[in-house]
Amino acid sequence: MGQEREEYIVEMRHITKRFPGIVANDDVTIQARQGEIYALLGENGAGKSTLMSMLYGMYEPDHGEIYIRGQKVNFRSASDAADANIGMVHQHFKLVENFTVAENITLGIEPMKKGLGIFPYVDLSEASRKIAEMSKSYGLEVDPKAVISDLGVSIRQRVEIMKMLYRQAEILIFDEPTAILTPQEVEYLLKSLEELRKGGKTVILITHKIEEIKKVADRCAILRRGKLIDVLDVRTTSTQEMANLMVGRTVALQTDKSEAKFGDPVLVVKDLSVRNEDKVQVVKDVSFTIRAGEVFAVAGVSGNGQVELADAIAGLVKTEKGSVTLLGKDITNDAIRDRVEEGITYIPEDRQKFGVFLDFNLRSNLALRRYYKEPFSHKGILNFDESQQYAERLIGEYDIRSGQGAKTSLRSMSGGNQQKAIVAREIEQHSPLIIFVQPTRGLDMGAIENIHKQILQERDRGAAILLISLELDEVMGLADTIGVIYNGQLLKIADAGTLSSQEIGRYMMGVTDNE
Amino acid sequence: MTYINSLITDGLAFALPLFIMAVGGIYSEKSGVTNLAVEGFQGFGAFIGALIATILSLKSGLGGQTIIYIAIAAAFVGGAVYAMLHALLCIYFDADQVISGVVINILGLALTTFLTSQINGVLFGNASNKFVLETSYRFSVPGLSSIPIIGAIFTKVYPFEILILVLGVFFWYLMYKTRYGMRLRACGENPQAVDAAGGNVYKIRFISVMISGGLSGIGGMCIAYSLLVQYSPNIYLGYGYLAIAAMIFGNWNIIPTFFVCIFFGLAKAGGNQLCLVMQLSSLYTNLFMIIPYVLTLVMMIFFSKRNHPPKAAGQPYDKGQR
Repeated sequence: MGQEREEYIVEMRHITKRFPGIVANDDVTIQARQGEIYALLGENGAGKSTLMSMLYGMYEPDHGEIYIRGQKVNFRSASDAADANIGMVHQHFKLVENFTVAENITLGIEPMKKGLGIFPYVDLSEASRKIAEMSKSYGLEVDPKAVISDLGVSIRQRVEIMKMLYRQAEILIFDEPTAILTPQEVEYLLKSLEELRKGGKTVILITHKIEEIKKVADRCAILRRGKLIDVLDVRTTSTQEMANLMVGRTVALQTDKSEAKFGDPVLVVKDLSVRNEDKVQVVKDVSFTIRAGEVFAVAGVSGNGQVELADAIAGLVKTEKGSVTLLGKDITNDAIRDRVEEGITYIPEDRQKFGVFLDFNLRSNLALRRYYKEPFSHKGILNFDESQQYAERLIGEYDIRSGQGAKTSLRSMSGGNQQKAIVAREIEQHSPLIIFVQPTRGLDMGAIENIHKQILQERDRGAAILLISLELDEVMGLADTIGVIYNGQLLKIADAGTLSSQEIGRYMMGVTDNE
Repeated sequence: MTYINSLITDGLAFALPLFIMAVGGIYSEKSGVTNLAVEGFQGFGAFIGALIATILSLKSGLGGQTIIYIAIAAAFVGGAVYAMLHALLCIYFDADQVISGVVINILGLALTTFLTSQINGVLFGNASNKFVLETSYRFSVPGLSSIPIIGAIFTKVYPFEILILVLGVFFWYLMYKTRYGMRLRACGENPQAVDAAGGNVYKIRFISVMISGGLSGIGGMCIAYSLLVQYSPNIYLGYGYLAIAAMIFGNWNIIPTFFVCIFFGLAKAGGNQLCLVMQLSSLYTNLFMIIPYVLTLVMMIFFSKRNHPPKAAGQPYDKGQR
């Protein structure tokens, strides 16, 4: 491998990049051939994004060289990289929301015309035609005249891809493109990646999801803690092997679950309906019961009311009708803090927005559920020694990795460790009901494994768990009972063992038994 | 009938300077720089314009109307140069844009008041705090001006009103039809997108804030000629803030803002006329002067919910942030 004198379209040789305190890339060499899908696999913080940021001109390497089509290059900015026909779809899209698709795609290279021979103006009619044509040939449906704010994430992503193609990019970098997509959308995206490969484009795919690599990639470079571990031929390597190499130890792809021991009902939801800000009914007459020691998982395509359902139970949104009963007590109209005291803890979907204070340190964030109580505060004065000790204990027990211990600000921690901190804080409440909304979104395998283990531990302790997840595998792996939500209604509630993933998939699309 | 006629004539003479200031505000905010400094820009621009006009009428043999045009051009330059301070603070030093705007306004008032009396001391040996300006020529369009009611639009028109309309069209075209305008609007929504597309966010914003200052300066100069017929600290009567209100009701779009300004102009002129009709003493004019501001408050209740200010306005752009 690598010994044949083959023409590589992208070569990054012996790249080293240091940031204060860490070596993000340590002597990494990768080589991609034209027309292949080259995957970069690694956990969060393994240095994948940094490596690609250098290829895209956003950083310059401390050591090492980059060759494009055999020519040495020195990119100083993203536009240098764009001039070398490199394009990148970032995790956070760079789109102007009140612009149309065509305006976004042509931004920076606006096609000009002259009115009356003297007045220059931007003319998008020609560009729109070209975009429509390109979107057909790559199977990426977009309407050039649609305004971005009206479009969903997967279509916005297509716009980002079209942006690269419009600029004649030949080397396309995707940074965790599937993290924000639903299973159906992931399928669609992976198909378009194959379509791009067919068109002779070189695709570099940054991801930590092995199944995706298995599905589309030709070769896969594995990074761990900034170092290149291996470059594998995807076809001849097993999923388990890749997982082990990525994490650096043997990982359990299947979670071991002990026999469920159900207790008394903890949460009883009856005929619950919720309207959102636009007065649309997003949860409709939902009823279910969760017993102690039970994981009740709600499966569904994103945006079908599952988040609002969880928010209503946690008290973040008002219910329109119906009742929520916790341990026999009606809490439908209770304030959030009362619900917490009565035994609900909540791990929110958007952890940075609702789960933590990014600019507070770890100690304060860990004490958030208790700071107002003895011994964390006494007569309204905070006792920092107590919260310090508490934080140190949780950091140890839950393996929260932070640069400066309890003093670390949450902003400087990785997503996985932020989530660990939230989970630690919530689990420590030892509440009878724990609500997890998308608990593993955007996390890497090691962290996911860890959180799954903790969810099951809490279940075995006798907590009732409400799990809202878009990942069908997660639902199938953890749930004792599965409820499938579609358009605000629970279409099906059944024991986990009695439903296949195909059946769940059908309910998720709104197909019911009688049809 | 004459009341209605002067309502329209006076209303337009006030509305158009207000409009060009509001366009200035739009240029800055659409590029992503919050602009509360319109008041300071218009005052400073008018100060420079009035200074040039005073010097020219003293030292040159130019005719009054020529001097007025030169003064308006000087006000544009003066406003634009003064706006560089706001641009510098907000764009390169990441200052809080609201505070910078307020500082610009206070500084403008203090600085121009001080300089006016100093310069008057040198020029005339009398440290007065105002520059007396010539009365602008006004014209009526023959024929059109004799149409009942509508004719008032074409009666006693200041030449600067025509100038402002032409500038309004030009700056609308610049914002919505050109490459610079498209990037400017993108800068106010998602500067990262502009950067990724190879545009220079800092430069685009800097130029936009300068345009903002220049247009505000023109507005201030026109008000000095029409309303005050002099340059004095009275120029800081709050019309800059009214222009900001017009911009907000116009939802940061030039054409709706134009109509809001016309409405404000008519409301203000209406207040004056009402005072005359009711034959109240001039003491009460001040009371009627609050009409545009009361309307502002009332309209705020109805409009503020539907408004969409530029998303990135108020946030300094940080290239490193991802």
